Amino acid sequence: MKRIYLGILMGLVVLAPVAKAQSKNSASAGVEEEFKKLDHKWLDSERTGDLDYCEKFFADSYVLVLANGTVYTKAEWLGILRGPDRPTLEVLDPTNIQVHVFGNVAILTDHTTIKGHDSKGARLDGEFNVFRVVIKQNGMWKATGVVMNEDKTKK
Amino acid sequence: MKRTYGLVVLFVLVIASGAVALGQSSKKVAEEDVAKTAAILDHVWLDAAHNRDTETMAWLFADNFVEVHPGGAIVDKKEQIAQIEDPQRANLELHPDDIQVRYASPDVAVLTDVTTIRGLSGGVNYNGKQRVIRVFVKQNGRWRAAGAGIVPIAAQ
Repeated sequence: MKRIYLGILMGLVVLAPVAKAQSKNSASAGVEEEFKKLDHKWLDSERTGDLDYCEKFFADSYVLVLANGTVYTKAEWLGILRGPDRPTLEVLDPTNIQVHVFGNVAILTDHTTIKGHDSKGARLDGEFNVFRVVIKQNGMWKATGVVMNEDKTKK
Repeated sequence: MKRTYGLVVLFVLVIASGAVALGQSSKKVAEEDVAKTAAILDHVWLDAAHNRDTETMAWLFADNFVEVHPGGAIVDKKEQIAQIEDPQRANLELHPDDIQVRYASPDVAVLTDVTTIRGLSGGVNYNGKQRVIRVFVKQNGRWRAAGAGIVPIAAQ
């Protein structure tokens, strides 16, 4: 009987670190999935013009840097999306989203495909590698920064 | 009697508003301190890159560091440091201007700057001003660089 107890005890000791590692991995995979969903929701809301969501999701500190280095604040960018010069975005799709979480801030990198045109009809199509920063404020994740780069890595 | 109550209420209000003001002012001071620290670390980061001081970079960069370069290359801590110590790399002109702290909290700082870079590094030929977002995070009581996104400012 003692041998059986000892065997069970040894089994638990051996398996405990594995169980812990699995639980840690699945937790981080879950967090990663949440950020990937957030990235999709973010771009979907800009594509479909869900500006109420953008208004809430963008932190007051939000800053967007386009691929030509032009900078827009939250008020400036939402002003464009609400205004007559709003671009028409047919495709705004992030892939290969990589998540880097540092407590109350997370950096997402992704490859974003854009298809669309500006208010005058000029095409805005492009492939971009994007640096995105989200911060946790009052328990909510909010976008605070974006830097877009034309993806020339495959050319 | 009414006067006594009035004086007590006034006294409580004065004390309470003083406490609120003190709280707000200490929060503002803390944010200013974070902003100053982040601005200094911006210089430390670029000085280390300029001087190929990979030890300082290893000390400054968080383990999960990520940087997106002009042209879209995405590099981690190890790759970024390898690029800096690459003997083929030119001695870069490298300095930040117009540092603006966009967000500061007790453990996070996000800033933008205009970094002038001239020279060849990581296969990219830098020739002028770059718009940059830099992210700093406090880990175990120490500020570290979490990442950066860099894009060239197109000629107007």
